[in-house]
Parts: sequence; structure tokens; C-alpha cells
Amino acid sequence: MLSRTAENLFWSARYIERADSLARLLEVGYRISLIPNTERGYTNEWESILETSGIKDEYLKKYKKISKEKIIFYLLFDPENSSSVKNCIKTARENIRMVRTAVTLEVWNAVNSSYHELDKNMKDTKSILKELPEIIEWIKRQVNLIRGTILNTQLINDGYDFLILGTYFERADFTARIINVKYFILLPSINYVGSDIDNFQWSLMLRSISSFRAFKWAYGGQEITYTKIIDFLILNMTCPRSLIFSIEKINHHLGRLSKFYKQTSTSNKKIGLMYKNIKNLNANKITEIGLHEFLKSFIEEINFVYKKFEQKYFFGLET
Amino acid sequence: MYNEVYKNSKVRKFYNQIYDWAKSLPENVIVKKKNEAENLFKKIGITFSVYNNFDSSERLIPFDMFPRIISSIEWKRIKKGVIQRALAINAFLNDIYNSGEIIKAKLIPENLIYKNPAYEIKMIGFKVPKRIYSPIIGSDIVRINENIFKVLEDNCRTPSGVSYMIENREIMMRMFPELFEKLKIETVENYPSYLLDVLKSLAPKKCNKEPKVVILTPGSFNSAYYEHSFLADLMGVELVQGTDLFVNDSITYMKTTRGPEKVDIIYRRIDDKFIDPITFDSSSLIGIPGLFDSYKSGNVNICSAPGSGIADDKAIYSYIPDIIKFYLGEEPILENVKTWRCYEDDAKKYVINNLNKLVVKEVHGSGGYGLLIGSRSSKKEIEIFRKKILLNPENYIAQPILELSSVPIFDKKKLSPRHVDLRPFCLVGANKTKLVDGGLTRVALNKGSLVVNSSQGGGVKDTWILNE
Amino acid sequence: MKIKIKHSTTYKYSSTVPRLIQCLKLYPSICDNQEILDWETSTSNGKIIESHFDGLGHRVQNIFIKNFSGQLKITSQGILKTKDLSGIVKGLKEKVHPLCFLRETDLTKPCKNIEKISSEAKKNNNKNYIEFVHKLNLIVSNSIKYVSGSTTTSTCSKDALKQKKGVCQDFAHILISAARFNQFPARYVNGFLLEETTSGENTSHAWAEIFIKDLGWVAFDPSHKKCIDDKYIRISTGFDFEDASMIKGVKTNYNGDEFLDTKVDIESCQ
Repeated sequence: MLSRTAENLFWSARYIERADSLARLLEVGYRISLIPNTERGYTNEWESILETSGIKDEYLKKYKKISKEKIIFYLLFDPENSSSVKNCIKTARENIRMVRTAVTLEVWNAVNSSYHELDKNMKDTKSILKELPEIIEWIKRQVNLIRGTILNTQLINDGYDFLILGTYFERADFTARIINVKYFILLPSINYVGSDIDNFQWSLMLRSISSFRAFKWAYGGQEITYTKIIDFLILNMTCPRSLIFSIEKINHHLGRLSKFYKQTSTSNKKIGLMYKNIKNLNANKITEIGLHEFLKSFIEEINFVYKKFEQKYFFGLET
Repeated sequence: MYNEVYKNSKVRKFYNQIYDWAKSLPENVIVKKKNEAENLFKKIGITFSVYNNFDSSERLIPFDMFPRIISSIEWKRIKKGVIQRALAINAFLNDIYNSGEIIKAKLIPENLIYKNPAYEIKMIGFKVPKRIYSPIIGSDIVRINENIFKVLEDNCRTPSGVSYMIENREIMMRMFPELFEKLKIETVENYPSYLLDVLKSLAPKKCNKEPKVVILTPGSFNSAYYEHSFLADLMGVELVQGTDLFVNDSITYMKTTRGPEKVDIIYRRIDDKFIDPITFDSSSLIGIPGLFDSYKSGNVNICSAPGSGIADDKAIYSYIPDIIKFYLGEEPILENVKTWRCYEDDAKKYVINNLNKLVVKEVHGSGGYGLLIGSRSSKKEIEIFRKKILLNPENYIAQPILELSSVPIFDKKKLSPRHVDLRPFCLVGANKTKLVDGGLTRVALNKGSLVVNSSQGGGVKDTWILNE
Repeated sequence: MKIKIKHSTTYKYSSTVPRLIQCLKLYPSICDNQEILDWETSTSNGKIIESHFDGLGHRVQNIFIKNFSGQLKITSQGILKTKDLSGIVKGLKEKVHPLCFLRETDLTKPCKNIEKISSEAKKNNNKNYIEFVHKLNLIVSNSIKYVSGSTTTSTCSKDALKQKKGVCQDFAHILISAARFNQFPARYVNGFLLEETTSGENTSHAWAEIFIKDLGWVAFDPSHKKCIDDKYIRISTGFDFEDASMIKGVKTNYNGDEFLDTKVDIESCQ
């Protein structure tokens, strides 16, 4: 297929995943705002959400001060925020529109109607604060609908691989980023590791990736501890948002592409290595390395894989 | 006004059955069928219409259900005439970019060619593959009376509208299958395969295997993107944008997920100046750097050839009958519309004294730009043109205001005549010409209007060549 | 006269260029005014690929490089034997009709000052068009002052006239504009001039050719108030600076900077 087609498929899926992540982040913020006594939250949670999504500076440039309502609007609808949910869905739709014949009518309809409904939702919204839970629910539902349609109606060919790769490159990046931010920005100092605040924040984070229940199940309802969280979010294959899960998926689908095209690329080798390494890790080893160092190099490595992947399949430049 | 349905106020035999059918349709059925047509267009078009900028699935051009009929005898002449023009135009292009015999023979003034911005000096001396410059020519034909068809203009660069020809037929067949059982209507569905076949016959010098054809589009924001994707889909070729192609070591490739794939023939739907930022407009973002040199070194073919536009320049139009005689040694089968060239003194004198009876056209303009329809313009507008002509006579030609023939449309619920023209699409390949039996009939939907352009209230009709 | 030339252009890039294409017109024109004794073009990276001869007689070559970083040096060098034909350019291997060079371009659009220049040139002269063109060249020579660095590659004749200064490129554009305005086909020429410079540094040079009935193409150098002689080497031609350029490159998907440095060594070798 044309490189551009692959690129459009990849990015449409990636933007849909990004919209999903944003919705979950907003959910965390909303939950905190429901807790009457916020003395536990030192940092303004909304502010930290901006940090997590890496757009605090841009936000401040426009609005000057932190305001709950403005942040929500900025993250959900603001046309000037290139990574607002609205713009993510819009960009996803633009990408699919360009390669309309590479996806099924069902997939197109799912994406297209999501876009139009979101547009309508935005116009109908009177109080963004009050309606936030509904909007979040709606976004999550739409994303699941789109993803389900992809899984159920697309041919399982190379185009499918590019779609799935878009999802997991984004997810790996997001999960790594949110752990990192939690560790470095949310906690006032390293001394708080293991404290109540720490554990409270971890539990919120679990919620943000919809894994609170899953965690409870996986670890038999035990209390949340630092090591268990690391194990769960990074190393647990049963957690669909863990790093290892995303790496396994990327490895698998890059492998399929390689077989399909009868060509191998540096990205294949690198992701294979990453998968092998992460399989051999445990939570203690990560603590030894240092969580931040581990995440930093993880993000670097996954970016390297992406660069090579992009060079080969999108730009035709890998030598 | 000539109404194609009648002869001596009796319905012509070709229209007999259709006319009876149309008359017999109750009002509510007409309304219902109109809606059905709309819905069908949406359904068929849904795959493609999402490409255009207009949201939902609105069609760009309104469709009228009353078919335009041309008898096979009439068509035979049109077909021969159109092919004759297409061949002569290609011979002309080949000549003016090489030895320039027609200029040496003083049949065309040299100024008209060499000073013309459409004459591309970078093409001079280059042997284009199989000497075919313009493989797709859409000539606009008007009917003056029962016997006379005239060519109003030829489109040699990238004529559009062929997707409507195919879609109109598809809709009519789905809605009124019974008509197609009763009448022998020539098919138009072969157009995409003819086009592919013709393009493949124009492989460049350095192509020694099955040639790879692609369609090059400016992108989804172009108003004809729908047609580009429609054709690519029906031809089974890739629809590419500039960024999908690149040139390495003089060879043009398409970026695919399997790696670079060599491209041999590019059916381009972008203008000359955007083709290659190195050779032409350096600010072009939709072009392919190095493509022109790849073309000139015989590694890829660009269809139509850059510089083909000179042949449909309005200044050249009036010479087409001479061009046909010069290259083919034949008399033109289809007439031209009488044209006054304002750079000729007598003609200029006539034109400026009769502006209210004439259509004046700017020679290098296209479409409705720089146009004066004398009978419908104010005194002030006419004066402005008079001055313009006197200042730059070589920039203008004038033609009589034509009474186009008319065909009925379903106006609300009743039949009512409207003016039409016809654009057949002639394909010219290496030692072959192809023309499906049909074309695009454009109709001026506003009562009395002579403007069939879709941007100004024009619609389309299915065109039937009836086989007796 | 025998002239030896070495012309090199060096490009430096601040980061990796994904795809780089250079289009070269670096071979001296084949004509009676100059005989090529020896000539070659070379590149520090990639290879030079022959493309085609165009209608104006240029030998067009290309360089294609991907994922390039660092410095790219393109060199052309050789020896020519030149003749002084009083400015008349003879024996060109071209297929383009002179009338094509009546077209205006953005860099050479006529303006009020061009009108002034041409009416001045017409004074006391209705018939002799050869004399007219010479006078035009002279007036253009005096219309602006030569100030190096006073204009850029995108300065048009109108702007150069307005600010009353420019470099050889601007002199050429003004003359071309004025000639075309008077219905004389005219074009831009890139090449080299053997001259004594105070700094000892040479650059490439540019002038104009005007088509004169009965004479053919005649080369005028308005920045030196004369017609060309055997000290001029003709390389490439076109409608204007942009069209005639000896090297034209396009970088794809590149956001970094490009630094350009040209060096010309020119000497007579008896």
C-alpha cells in the first residue's frame, strides 16, 4: 500500500487512543474534585493533569491562570489546543478521510459520526463542569465503538497492523509518561514515596487508566504499594495498559509486517530486544535502576523504534 | 430555439418512447423518483463524496432524469469528428514543439505560438513518448439545429466531468431498468479500462516491463478530488499526491510500505506549473522535485505533457480547421463556431462595432473569466471591453451568441426545455484512439440561460447513443 | 584567449537532509564564441547523473542524495578558448525561437522607470535599432549604481531601479525588462568574466542577451557598459535569474539551515 495510506491509518488510530487517554485523565481530575477535603492533594490536580499531557505552557500562554473550567474546556474542546479531545477526533477523522477506501464503511461511519456528535455535544454543552461525567462517558464509549468496529470489520491485513500499531505506540508512550509525571511532579518530595499521599495518588492513577479494579483482582485485593504498582503498570502482561503489553503488541505487529513484506527493519530488531529485556525485569530491578531512569530510557527506546519504523514504512528512507 | 425532441413539431422517433414514458409519469412518481435519484447518488457516492470538502454527501452537480438522446447516425459523425480533432491536436503539438512546420508554412502567425505563455519552452525539442501530448481530450460540442453540431472548445490539459458521465448512467440503470430493456443504449462503462489501456500504451522509453500507472491529484481539497478517486478506483491504480512520489537517480518512485516502487506513467490532474518545483514554480508544495528531469531523461511519462495547454488556447481554437487540413489532409468533420480574431484589423473593426451581438473571450483565460456576453451586458460593461480590445486586440476573440439546442428537464413536476451542450471524452494512445459511445451532457437549469457550467447553475443529464 | 576556470559551490547543512536533489546546468554553452578544451563537473557526495540536453542547449545533470549531513561541494572546472565576436553570440545549439523571450517574468516586469529609460533611448532615433539597443544598454548602465550586497536573489528590476543600486543580476534584469518592453526578445545569461579585481576574489557574473534582427543574439553587459568579448564565458541562460540558475536544489522535509559558499578561480593561460 501507499506509505501515505499506512501513515494515515496509523495516525488515525493513534489520535483515537490519545482522545481516550485524555478522557481518562479528565476523569481523574473530576474524581478529585468530588472529594471534599483536598488537603491530600498538594498540587492542584488539574494543573498536574496539564503537566501530564505536556501542554501546561501552551495553556498558560492562552489563559494566564489555572482555572478548573478553563482547563476542562482546553482539554476537551479548545480548537486552539492541537491535542484537545475534539482536535484528536477531528485529526483522526481527517486521516481516515484521506484513505477512505482503506477502511470499512463501518469504521468510517463510527469515526465520522463521533466527530459530528462531539461537535454537537460541544455546542449543546451549557455547564462543562456539570456535564463532564457524561461527556467523558460518551468519549470512552465512542472510542470503544471505533476500536470494536476496527477489530470486527477490518480485514486482518497490513492496514490492520498499522492501525493497531498506532494504538500501542500511543499507549506505551502515555503510560510511561503518566507514571513518570506521577513520580516526579505529583509527589512534593521523594520522602513521600510509600506514604498515604503516594498511595492515594497511585490509586487515582490506576483509575485514570481504568485499571483500579483490574489491579485489585490481579493482586487479590491487597493494599496498593509502590512495588506492586510498578509490577502492574510495567510488567504485568494481563494489564492491557501496562508497558509490557504494549511492547508485546508492537513487537507482534511489526513482526507481522516484516513477514508480510518479507523485509526486516531496524525497528524489528530493536522492539524484539525491548520485549526480551522487559520480560526479564522485575519490580526490584526497576527500583534498583531507578524508576525515573528506567522510564526515561524506555521512552527514548520506544521513540527510536518509532523513528526507524516511520523511516521505513512512511518515508521510504531507511537504508 | 432548436428543441432536440421535435422535428416539424412532431416528436422525433428516437425520443418517442422516452417522451411517452416521461409524459406518462404521474406527478407524485416524478417527485418520488427525484428523491430516489438523490438517495442513490448519496449511496453510490458515499464512498467518494466524503472526499470533497462539502460535508454530508451532497452531490456537486444536480442531475436531471430526462435523458439526452443522440441517434447512432448523428453520433457516428460526432465521433469521427472528435477523433479527427484529437489526432490533429496531437500532431499540432508535436509539430510546434519540434520543427514548427505549420508556422513555417505561415498557416499560424508565429507570435500566436511563441509569445503565448501556454507554449512551454522547456518542452521544445523533447520527443514525448509515442508523440502523444494530450491523450485525453474533452471537446465541448453544441448543437445548432437538426443537422449541425459545432465544437465550441477543446480541453486538452485535464478535462473533467467523466465521472459524472459514468455515474449518471449508473443511476439511470438502477432507477429505470425497464427503459434499458426496451431501448438499445450504448454502454459507457468501459471508459476506465479504455483510459488505462491508452495510458499504458504511452510508456516512456526506459520502461521495459508492464508499465505502472498512477493518478496524481493535488489533494483532497481540490474540487475534482471526487473524480480523481473515482477514476483511480475504477481503473485499479493508485491515487497519489506529490508527497507520495520522489525521484532518485532520475527514476520516479512511489513510496509504499513495501519500499519504493517505480512509476512509469503519471496521469496528472495538477497544473503544469505545479509539477516540479525545480523546473517550474519553485513555491509549489504539491509537486515532485526532479520529476521533470526524470521525464525528460525518458524514465517516466507525464500525461498530458506539460505545455499541451497551448492547443486549447482560445487564440489557437480558430485555427483548428486549418490544423486538421494541414496535418491530416482532411476536411474538418465538425465545424468550428465562427470566430473573429481581434488582432486582424477587419475583424477588430467588426467586433467593436457589434459588441452587443457577440461573445468576447480573453484568449489565455479559461472558463467564464474575462468573458463578455454582449446581449446581456450593460452599456458600461460593453464600453470597458471595447477599450480593452482596442488596447490589446491580440488578447481577444469574438464569437456570435449561439442558440444552443434544448432538451426537456423535469422542472418541478413538468417537462420544460433547457439548453444543453455535450462533452465526449476522446482517448488517444499509441496507434489507437478510443471513445466510449456517450458523453457528458451539461444543462443550463435556469430557464433561458445559456450557461451550462456547474458553478453557474448548470446540471447534468445521462446521454444516450441510441442504436437502431 | 585561453581561460582556465574552477568554480565550486559548497553547501553546509545544519542537520540531516532527508532527500536532496540538485539540478545542474554547469557546462559552458557550445557556440562559436568559446571552444571547450576541457571541462568536467564533480561532486563531493553522491554522483552526477546525466539527464538531458534541453531546448536551449544546456547539458542538464542531477545529483540525488538521501539522509545527507555535512558539506556538499559541487565543482566544475576546465579550460576554454574564447573569441571576441563583438558581442554577437554565434552557433548556439538551441531550438527555442527568439520570440519566446518577449515574455515578462516577475523579476523583469516593466515599470514607470523602464518606460523612462526606453523613451530616453528613443530620443533622436527612430530607425536605427542597433544603435537603439546600444543606447539602451548605456542608459541602463547608468540607471543604478553597482553596490555589492545591495540586493537579494529575489529583487526585481522595478525594486532595483527604485533604490538606484544593485549588482550584475539587477543590471541584467533592468536591461532585459527594457528590451522586452520595446519588443526586443531578451534573456538572462550566467557565466564568468576574467577581470582584475582589487580583492583578488572572483565570482560568477551575469549579463543579458538581446535579439537583434539581422545580427541574432547579442550579449550586452550593462554592469560594464559594453558588449561581451573574449573575456566572457557563457554557461546558462533563461528568462531571468531564477530560470537561468546554474544550480537549483530542492530539499524535501528539511527544516534546518543551509549555508552557501561559492568560489571562482579564473585566470588566463597563454
